[in-house]
Order: sequence, then structure tokens, then C-alpha cells
Amino acid sequence: MTVIFKAARCGGWVTALCLSLVMSVLLSAPALAQAPDVSGTATVPVVTGGAAFVPIVQGGQTTLVSIISPVVLVPLGDKWLIESRAAFEGDFVRRDGTTGPFSGEIQKSLEYLQLDYIANPHLTVTVGRFLTPFSMYNERLYPVWIRDLQADPLILPLEQSSSNGLMLRGGFPAAHDLNLNYAAYFSTLSSNETLASERLVGGRIVAFFPNQRLEIGFSLEHLLQDTNANRFGTHFEWQPRALPLDIRSEYADTESGRGYWIEPALRLSALSHARVFAHTQVVGRFQQFFTKPGATNGDVPGADTKEPEIGLNYYFMDGLRATASYGRQLSSEGNANIWTSGITYRFAFPLGRGGY
Amino acid sequence: MVMRILAVVLVLAAIVAAESGNNASGNKSTESNAATSANVVPSSTAQNAAIRVEGEKRFRTNCGRCHMAPHKFPPRMMATFVRHMRVRALITDEDMRYILAYMTE
Repeated sequence: MTVIFKAARCGGWVTALCLSLVMSVLLSAPALAQAPDVSGTATVPVVTGGAAFVPIVQGGQTTLVSIISPVVLVPLGDKWLIESRAAFEGDFVRRDGTTGPFSGEIQKSLEYLQLDYIANPHLTVTVGRFLTPFSMYNERLYPVWIRDLQADPLILPLEQSSSNGLMLRGGFPAAHDLNLNYAAYFSTLSSNETLASERLVGGRIVAFFPNQRLEIGFSLEHLLQDTNANRFGTHFEWQPRALPLDIRSEYADTESGRGYWIEPALRLSALSHARVFAHTQVVGRFQQFFTKPGATNGDVPGADTKEPEIGLNYYFMDGLRATASYGRQLSSEGNANIWTSGITYRFAFPLGRGGY
Repeated sequence: MVMRILAVVLVLAAIVAAESGNNASGNKSTESNAATSANVVPSSTAQNAAIRVEGEKRFRTNCGRCHMAPHKFPPRMMATFVRHMRVRALITDEDMRYILAYMTE
């Protein structure tokens, strides 16, 4: 209730949230007669997630990055889902810079713990702590077993955050070859170290063209504290049917800076169906970051930066992958080579009497 | 401390959900579990084939947007994953139905 009262001060944003809700309910006409009926399909709680060991050498300094990030999924009935992801990350560096034994602490974080209610085919209501749906990387591409390059994009700190509050989201076919997805959310301020969040409202609209496998999204966020800044983001993804190629890109403009990245990834099965080619993926990324005067975010570069990067992934099997990359960071603060190599793994097992 | 409390809450919720799932399906015995796929897919062979083709198409189109298409998991796990992905990846309800039917057949 407190959340609602606080949100009421946001005027137009509340209207937008309510409009989303009303539209979702109105759009819930039974237009799914053709689709198979999957109601009543049994579920089971599941633990899944990713683990990675990826040493990174940046500017001659080695960091042994070890991550395990379990996701717990607990379905309740036909319409409810509790989902949560935590991260345990150890960044071990040499005690004396470039010599001596490696040491470091394990950092723990709760990235989301949310309760989802599938109200109707076009609306899911989420409460709790959730990944802020700003652009696409933070919410969909961040896990170590999903990302094609292990180094974070420079603009990730502009979007990487979790929010505590309420979110409405959903998707529906708007035309023969067009799916629209939306998310609208309100977050409260929390200074708790584990559950940190900002007080803000935001929304995202995404158009997905299934036949072309093309996605374009726009995100807006309005901070309701400190500078009351507006944040804007857009993302793009295209997977042409003729080639095993993914092209992804994001642009973000916030009070902490602005920048973009573009990342093509090609499976070499396009060249040959030999096993080694079929399991290999070549990835490239180019990105730029531009600072803004007065920015206080310590997680972004302190000077304008650009960075080309190239990488190679080899998939041993579903979920297990070897990865390596090389990048060159070019900045007035100093140039640096960035090398990564390692292993990523995706695990999944049921909680309870098997998955059958 | 907060993390511990949350972990306990999660584990308790998992136990409750597992028990409710077992109770709901326990009386149905293994036949009903085996029939899960049958509930999902209409009986007509032609319809089955059409749903399989459409399901695979939507699976590759949607799941491949972010990650490598995974192998099939057991049906009950798959049902949980698809619900998770419906929320996380903004899959439409219609896509979710076809994908689940395809992945649990």
C-alpha cells in the first residue's frame, strides 16, 4: 500500500502503469483456440544456473574470476512462480599486483527474488526484487553461460541493477508477423547492501518480428530521487535465417554517460559441417563509451573509451563451453590489452521426485 | 542474515511446491505422468505433426534469441523452464503453448 501511495505522486507514470494493466486485461480475449492446450501440465521446482572460471588479464594484471550463480524456480499451481537468482563471485588477484599468491573475497548478491502471477495470457504481475527491464543485456544476456563474450560491455553499469517493487509485463501478437512485448515498473529506494535499489519508474516496449527474427526495443526510466534524471536505452537483435549469425546491439544514454556496443556472433557451421566447425562460434564486439560532466558512477570509465574485441567459443555439449577473447581498450586514461579464457557451464536439476 | 532468511524461505517454498505437485499428481500414478504429453497434444496425428512443426519453429525462433537451443529436459522440468522463460524472455502465451507442447512430446 505504501508503494501505491508513493507511486501516486508520480502522476503520469501511474497513469501509464494503470493503462498497461487495463490494456492487458482488455486484450485477454480468447484468441488462442489454435494453440495447443497445455493447462494442467505438471511442473516441478528446479535449480538451474551457471558457473564459470574465467581468468582475465587486463593491462598485465591477472584476475581469476570464479562465479556460480544458482537460479531457483518454484512453480505454484498453474499461475504462480517464485524465481530467484543469487551470485557468488570471487575475483582473486595477486597480493602484490603482478607477483605473489592470489587472494580475494567471495562477493554475494541477490539479483532477483520475485513472485510472478500470470494474470492472463497478456499480463504477468511481478512483485519483489527483479532485474530492471532496461534494454536487453542485463535481463537476458548477463548469465555467464549465455553471454558470448565474458567481459562486460562498458555501458552495462548504466543498466545493470535490480529493482524492488512492482512490475507489469507481457506480450501479445499484434499482427501476423509482429509480437509486442511491454514492461512497466515502479521501484522503491533501498540502501540495504544486499537489496540495494533506486526509487524510479520505467517502461520498455519491444517489437519482435518472428519471420525475420528481428527485435527492436526502447526503454525509458525516470529517477525519482537525487537528480530526477531520465534514462534512455534502445536495443536491436537480428538473427537472419540464412546464416547461423546473431547480431546484437545496445545504446544507452543516462546521467552517468552514454555509449553503445554492437556484437556479431557467427557459428562456423556456416562454413563446414565438420564437428569442430559446427561447435565453434566466432564473436566480435565494438563498443564506445562517452563520459558526461558531473557523472558520479564509479563503475563506468572515467574517460571516453572505445574497445574492439574478438572471441572464440567452443561448445563441447549443451551447457559446457570453452571461451577465449582478446580486446584492446583505448582511452586517454591509458590503453590496455584484455585477455580472457575459461570454461562456462550451465546446470539444471529438479527439486523433488524427478522431472518426469 | 538477510540472505539466510531468504534461502530458508526459498527452500520452504520449494518443499511446499514439491509436495503440492506430488499431491496433485500422486493419485494419477505414472499413467497420468505419461499422459502429460497426451494432454498437451490433441489426438489427431495430423494435428500432432502440425503442432510439432510449429512448436519447433517457435522454439528455434524464440529460445535462440538469447542462447543455444537446449536439449530436451524431462516434461515437468520443461514446464517449469517454459514458465520461467515466459516471464523472463517475454514469450507470448501462444508461443509458450507451442514450445511446451513441442518440448514435452
